[in-house]
Amino acid sequence: MRLSLYVPGDTWVHRLDPMTKLLMTVVGIGLTFLLPSLQGGTLLLVLLLAVLGSAGVLHRAAAVYVGVAIVAGTFLVVQGLVYPGNAVPALTLGPIVFYREGLLVGLRLALRLYNILSATLILVLVTHPSDLVEAVVRRGASPRLGYVIMAVLQVIPTMMATASTIMDAQRSRGLETEGSLWVRLKAFVPVMGPLVTGSLIATEERALALEVRGFSGEGRPTFLKEEVIPPYATAARLVTVAALAAGIAGRWLLGW
Amino acid sequence: MMSERQPIIQARDVHFHYTPGRPVLKGITLDLGPGATAIVGQNGAGKSTFVRLLNGLLKPVEGQVLVAGVDTRQMTVAQLARTVGLVFQNPSDQLFKSRVLDEVMFGPLNLGFSAQEARERAEAALAELGLEGLEARNPYDLGLAERKLVTVASVLAMGTPVIILDEPTIAQDQVGVRQLGAIVDRLARAGRTVITITHDMEFVARHFQRVLVFQDGRVLADDTAEAIFAQPELLAAAGLQAPPITRLGQALGLPATVLTVEAFVEAVRAGEG
Amino acid sequence: MAVIEVENLRYRYPRQERLALDGITFTVEPGEFIGVIGPNLAGKSTLCQALVGLVPHFYKGAIGGQVRVAGLDVHRSTVAEVSRRAGLVFQNPFTQISGAKLTVYEEVAFGLEHAGVPREEMRRRIDEALRLLGLEAVKDQSPFALSGGQMQRLAIASVLAMEPEVLILDEPTSQLDPAGTEEVFEAVTALCRRGMAVVMAEHKVDRLAEHADRILVLHQGRQIAYGPPRQVFARENVAALGVAVPAVTQAAKALGWVLEDGTYPVTLAEAVAVGQARRGGR
Repeated sequence: MRLSLYVPGDTWVHRLDPMTKLLMTVVGIGLTFLLPSLQGGTLLLVLLLAVLGSAGVLHRAAAVYVGVAIVAGTFLVVQGLVYPGNAVPALTLGPIVFYREGLLVGLRLALRLYNILSATLILVLVTHPSDLVEAVVRRGASPRLGYVIMAVLQVIPTMMATASTIMDAQRSRGLETEGSLWVRLKAFVPVMGPLVTGSLIATEERALALEVRGFSGEGRPTFLKEEVIPPYATAARLVTVAALAAGIAGRWLLGW
Repeated sequence: MMSERQPIIQARDVHFHYTPGRPVLKGITLDLGPGATAIVGQNGAGKSTFVRLLNGLLKPVEGQVLVAGVDTRQMTVAQLARTVGLVFQNPSDQLFKSRVLDEVMFGPLNLGFSAQEARERAEAALAELGLEGLEARNPYDLGLAERKLVTVASVLAMGTPVIILDEPTIAQDQVGVRQLGAIVDRLARAGRTVITITHDMEFVARHFQRVLVFQDGRVLADDTAEAIFAQPELLAAAGLQAPPITRLGQALGLPATVLTVEAFVEAVRAGEG
Repeated sequence: MAVIEVENLRYRYPRQERLALDGITFTVEPGEFIGVIGPNLAGKSTLCQALVGLVPHFYKGAIGGQVRVAGLDVHRSTVAEVSRRAGLVFQNPFTQISGAKLTVYEEVAFGLEHAGVPREEMRRRIDEALRLLGLEAVKDQSPFALSGGQMQRLAIASVLAMEPEVLILDEPTSQLDPAGTEEVFEAVTALCRRGMAVVMAEHKVDRLAEHADRILVLHQGRQIAYGPPRQVFARENVAALGVAVPAVTQAAKALGWVLEDGTYPVTLAEAVAVGQARRGGR
């Protein structure tokens, strides 16, 4: 079972401490909203892709990008057709006319979507969730809250792994799951029950097992691993904050 | 077309892997027909993978599996479910209705039986497993042992010529194991093909005529239970041991391999008489 | 000095009429291995959970009598307090893995971190637990990459690293193959030799007869017998209630192969010895 989308590796981004990467993600999302223009958004995307690329996770990111392409495409189509400021036709397909203004709005929205996604992926693909949670608990967050976050993250991959087994069990009892979309959809309903119930049972069993491993004890935890913050983390944080400052300055002083 | 004599399941040089380069089954050729066949061997030997090939959930990477003479590649799992019933090891993967009775009726309804017929079949199957009175209960309120028995009933009610059980005796107490044994015996006598994966060697010795020993993706041995349990070295190679009563008979030098307590007692008395 | 003292323990789950445990009384000394047997729903799991306080603290319900484990009054202590002295290993190895850790080594650390154990002490305890359970070779692997037997040994190691005085196991081998089962029994027996008290609920009576010092038989929540395996399995009421008895004992009873003390053999070795004496001397 895979715990998360985390891609193991040993790049400079991987070695960076979770708090720095959390900062990068937060700043990345912040800049997305600070820089609504096409140029600003594109620049940000290039920067974020550079970070993801140097972490060697572009292939995994690409899978996510393709997944949300349908949403991005919807932005383009809907805005291109019905944006109130539409004036200049850009593309005519028979009776359907796409307008330049709307397409640009759609493009900006799509860009924003991909920027938020890319910033988040720095955390999701390159930071192991347990490292992130541990870093936050070290800084005073409740260990219980930390574990709840871990448990929630864990539910989804567990469910995905279980879903195919359950589907197999239903097919084995004569439920037709192969064929038209309707047949497949119908077949999915019986899967949901055992999926959810099974996950809940596993979660309760795990909660009990952890309870008797002293999980609910009072007092601050200790940590097996010493926190390793590479020397260049400070530089990375400074650059990140500088990027944020540049964004703010550009937005209000230079009117980007 | 299927002839009178043709085995209901034929595996022909079956190879399978989940990930290329990491073979799970490495060329299995055998026929399965009426009677009770046990599949034994260590975890990871390929037992569960093999039975999933028999009902079409998995298709061979090389070779072929014929069910009633038809290549499983030409059928959907749901079509094959008319011939081959498979009970999964973990009941949580299978149970989904909020009433035991509905759960057991699900398979027969899928096979096209009327509601009345499905209900009769379900009630008969539940009775055979000693689960009468639980029809209206939610399967999830039952203990693991009873939930497993419900999954067996739900496949039994389908009345398939082939029934595969994956580790049915896990979590069962003596009463549960005996009930399952009685069902295996009855199905085998009725000419059905019963295939069971199990680690419980006493269960194998008492109820199964044929034993397949799996080891590292291959069939290490395929013989009668007596013949298999008479070979300690073979069993050790597969990480197994004969049941204690069989080993007691061997240690005392009884002339034949005994598989049950009753057979042991009889053999000792015969020797004394 | 007994490390577990249970006196007239009675317990009823919420919204249930029947007592799940009714009048359980037994003591366990350090270094003893106690096997708990009985049909399903006899109360084996409930008893295991009562020994660490999950019954009644987690499950609620009504409880009476006394449970003292390693000097603690379990009914008046929290689960966290009891869990420092008594570890519980569950049936399903998969759901005992925290899922929050990348390696076997870190997984064992999970409980220690939450208990606030200093780092050096933590490393010492983890190394020792992994060594005792034979998991050193896989310490850098993902917990989810282990076999069932290895995973269950990891669950035991994780509990063991908390350095409990008592180890309780609830059907720990039911999901394991024969080799995995043997691994668990070997590990547990080794722990007993080091002075740990072990209570194990289990259906595999042949294995218990080989390894356990005493057997506790439960039936419908009541204690039917408590004593050394040979005495317990010789009792007529045990077999009559549908409680499993080792196959060699069944055979010895049928053949009248009585030992000098009036009991029957319960292990293969004992049965072979008796059988050879009988057959040799005929």
